[in-house]
Amino acid sequence: MFKLEFLKLRKKTRSWLGPILVFWLIMLAYPLTVEFLQNKLEIGFFSVLWIAILISMMLATEDIFSEDYNDGSLEQTLIKNPSFSIIIVTKIFTHWLLIGLPISILSFVFSLGTTEDLSLSLSIFPLAIISSYIFLNLFVLGNALSLNKGSVLGALVTMPLALPVLIVLGKGLIAIQLDINYRSFIFLLLGSLSIIIVAIPIVVSYVIKAHLE
Amino acid sequence: MNKNSLIVAQNIGYKINENKLFHNISFDINHGEALHIKGRNGSGKSTLIRIILGITEPVKGTIENKSTKEICYLGHKNALKTYLTLDDNINLMQLTNCDMLKSYLDKLELNKYRDVTVSNLSFGQQKKLALLRVFLNNSDLIILDEPFVGLDDGAHTVLTSFLNNELDKNKSLVFTSHIPCNINSKILEIPK
Repeated sequence: MFKLEFLKLRKKTRSWLGPILVFWLIMLAYPLTVEFLQNKLEIGFFSVLWIAILISMMLATEDIFSEDYNDGSLEQTLIKNPSFSIIIVTKIFTHWLLIGLPISILSFVFSLGTTEDLSLSLSIFPLAIISSYIFLNLFVLGNALSLNKGSVLGALVTMPLALPVLIVLGKGLIAIQLDINYRSFIFLLLGSLSIIIVAIPIVVSYVIKAHLE
Repeated sequence: MNKNSLIVAQNIGYKINENKLFHNISFDINHGEALHIKGRNGSGKSTLIRIILGITEPVKGTIENKSTKEICYLGHKNALKTYLTLDDNINLMQLTNCDMLKSYLDKLELNKYRDVTVSNLSFGQQKKLALLRVFLNNSDLIILDEPFVGLDDGAHTVLTSFLNNELDKNKSLVFTSHIPCNINSKILEIPK
């Protein structure tokens, strides 16, 4: 199942390369809009980083279900697989692997390039990995809710759910910079992810079944 | 109604908002039987098929599906990925290892297009590709919604002959079709 989802997404270059390029462009554009002094660059860098991850994940889920819904694949999947939520989990994981993971790696690279601080950038990496997976799950929910109404509506519906994650990311960053135990923020995000990773596929499977009905 | 029927539907009704699409429809399908659902456009044939598939719940009545295997279904949508090649789509349909695959690709004249992107195939060729999931099915119940649309005479004959063979193998078939076909079937007329 995973191999088939991977094949589908890999061959649809626009779907996985697009969000990565958008992330890359935002991060490249950031230094052009501020002073080129190192300490000035660092001031807003991480805010831009989290927002770039958020936007990229929003774009990554744009047609996660709509294509399968429109071409009839979702109907076939529903008939053949009683465990529909497992399919959703697989889809989300595949998208994260091809989009979320490269973006997390790029986050580390851009962080290192901007701050020139390896330990700070290494601390940012797990935050980027977890937050990208959380954002992806949230936007998947939004996309499922607005399956035949356009992805923008779905993004708007889910955006408020992403705000607490952004707050935790901000606090986590402060903890890293002040050298306080930032692992508590990692565990907080992991705790949220563990709930989301189970709840979202179940809810989404019901939402999609309702759309198909 | 036969107790050994594969599908038993009793007094099924469906409405969209307050408009009744159909009501009090009853039928049963035994092993080796075909049911041809007929009706005018908008009479609810596809909705009835979706009720049999379990995708849509009837507003009224009950439907029992005793099929133990997964249902083989092809509806109006072909469930193909147009940006992938024919071979990739066969892979997605998980038909790559089927013994009869090459034989059917030859019969449907698709063999020479295996590396062609599906968006570059004609409507009829796409329909033939979608029908591979029917030809290579491992089910005891086949459900088809307008399967003959877009097929040339050769493919029409291949499909008709295949479906008759499947009925001989004691499989059951439910289909809708406005195109005449030579399949020995019970008729269910949905009144408008």
